Amino acid sequence: MDDLIPLIQRLADGRSRSGTQLARELGISRTAVWKRIQRLERLGLTIERRPGHGYRLTPPLDLLDPHRLAQTLSRRSHALLHDIEIHPSLDSTNERLRRRTPWPGPLACLAEHQHAGRGRRGRRWISPFGANLYLSLAWPFPQRPPALESLGLRSALAVAEALEALGTPTLRLKWPNDLIAHGRKLGGILIELDGEWGGAHQVVIGIGLNVHLPPQAARGIDRPWIDLHTLMGEQRPDRTRLAAAILERLLTLLEQMQHGIDDDWQRRWHSRDTHLGQPVRLLSERGEIHGVHRGIAPDGALLVEHHGICRPYYSGEISLRTPKAP
Amino acid sequence: MDIRKLKKLIELLNESDVAEIEIKEGEESVRISRYSSVAPAPVPTTAIAPPPPAPAPAPAETGSAQAEAEPALPEGHVVKSPMVGTFYRAPSPGAKPFVEVGDRVEAGDTLCIIEAMKILNQIEADQAGTVAAILVENGEPVEYGQPLFVIQ
Repeated sequence: MDDLIPLIQRLADGRSRSGTQLARELGISRTAVWKRIQRLERLGLTIERRPGHGYRLTPPLDLLDPHRLAQTLSRRSHALLHDIEIHPSLDSTNERLRRRTPWPGPLACLAEHQHAGRGRRGRRWISPFGANLYLSLAWPFPQRPPALESLGLRSALAVAEALEALGTPTLRLKWPNDLIAHGRKLGGILIELDGEWGGAHQVVIGIGLNVHLPPQAARGIDRPWIDLHTLMGEQRPDRTRLAAAILERLLTLLEQMQHGIDDDWQRRWHSRDTHLGQPVRLLSERGEIHGVHRGIAPDGALLVEHHGICRPYYSGEISLRTPKAP
Repeated sequence: MDIRKLKKLIELLNESDVAEIEIKEGEESVRISRYSSVAPAPVPTTAIAPPPPAPAPAPAETGSAQAEAEPALPEGHVVKSPMVGTFYRAPSPGAKPFVEVGDRVEAGDTLCIIEAMKILNQIEADQAGTVAAILVENGEPVEYGQPLFVIQ
């Protein structure tokens, strides 16, 4: 994989380059260039081949820049973070950090590509090269913090606020932790936790954010999606800046949680909730529950009112329940 | 299936309050029940123990009273749930469960996943031993501190 990076860096700007030129610059044969181009396509990149013009990457890529990421992060974040890893390709950024235990301190991990990106319960997270943000943050809690269950919701809120500060329109949040714009999914969060009852807890927060998803890669996604490119066009911040802003907010959140600080997050969540006050259907392994979404509890539970009684729910998928036409 | 393993399972069942266990190993499966298949087994209707009474001045007495009130578990180390959520015995639907009753586990082996609000909590064995009982069904909700496994 690492041998592909020099080639990707030369093609990233989206301009055409001939096989001969690339071969000379990289010090390899034209056949070797051709073979590497094929490997790039297997990573989900689209490369136009035009006779007489050579190879062209479309759309252009903005690669993660480790140097600029380090410069953009605040001194406070540098003090908190023990290490930031940036990889060309990984199975998944969450897995990578989980393999690194015991952690010397908080760790961040980013990848240009994931070949085994994961969603919930065995679902796949489509992760083409350089198209999106795949970011994980590992944080060791010496003790179980209060309301740890709310971490997913509060992480989604932190990401939404980071993006809004960079100029996106106001984003919506769908319980438990989907980032939504125009009714479509912009990003998701998967948190993995190792902990003993009454002991230390290690969390990995994994974020997948759609930045500029090539249409052919998006064919594998079975639900409505949107990316930052569609939302913001040329105004969209580059991926390095996005990564820095998200890390900044998440580190603040984790520090607050560790100290048991409730920063009025429920109110900020409620103002962005996609389904608050509406009739909803909650679908889980245990069946279907119909009721009205009455808000979020301090521990992140979804409060659903059914026959006048409000109950907290901790898992399931919510959707809008549209009244049947008469 | 190894006959010694079956014998051991029957012993385990007799020593415990578990009414019935079912074990699958590849194509083979065996179900061992303490009760006649005709009469319904007297399984407690609530899986969750009632909350313990408020701390009383005489801890020794409350301790014994509490032990009588709770359904008896097989002897051994009890692994409890660190959070409210849904109990999963396998990493994804259709996958092989992490552990079965009778399995040998080492400290650090994953026993199950508890999921709440897309937080996946991998519950690991905090000590080595044999899984003597699995106290929750796959997909069932669990409470904070609820016993999940007994390891001997």
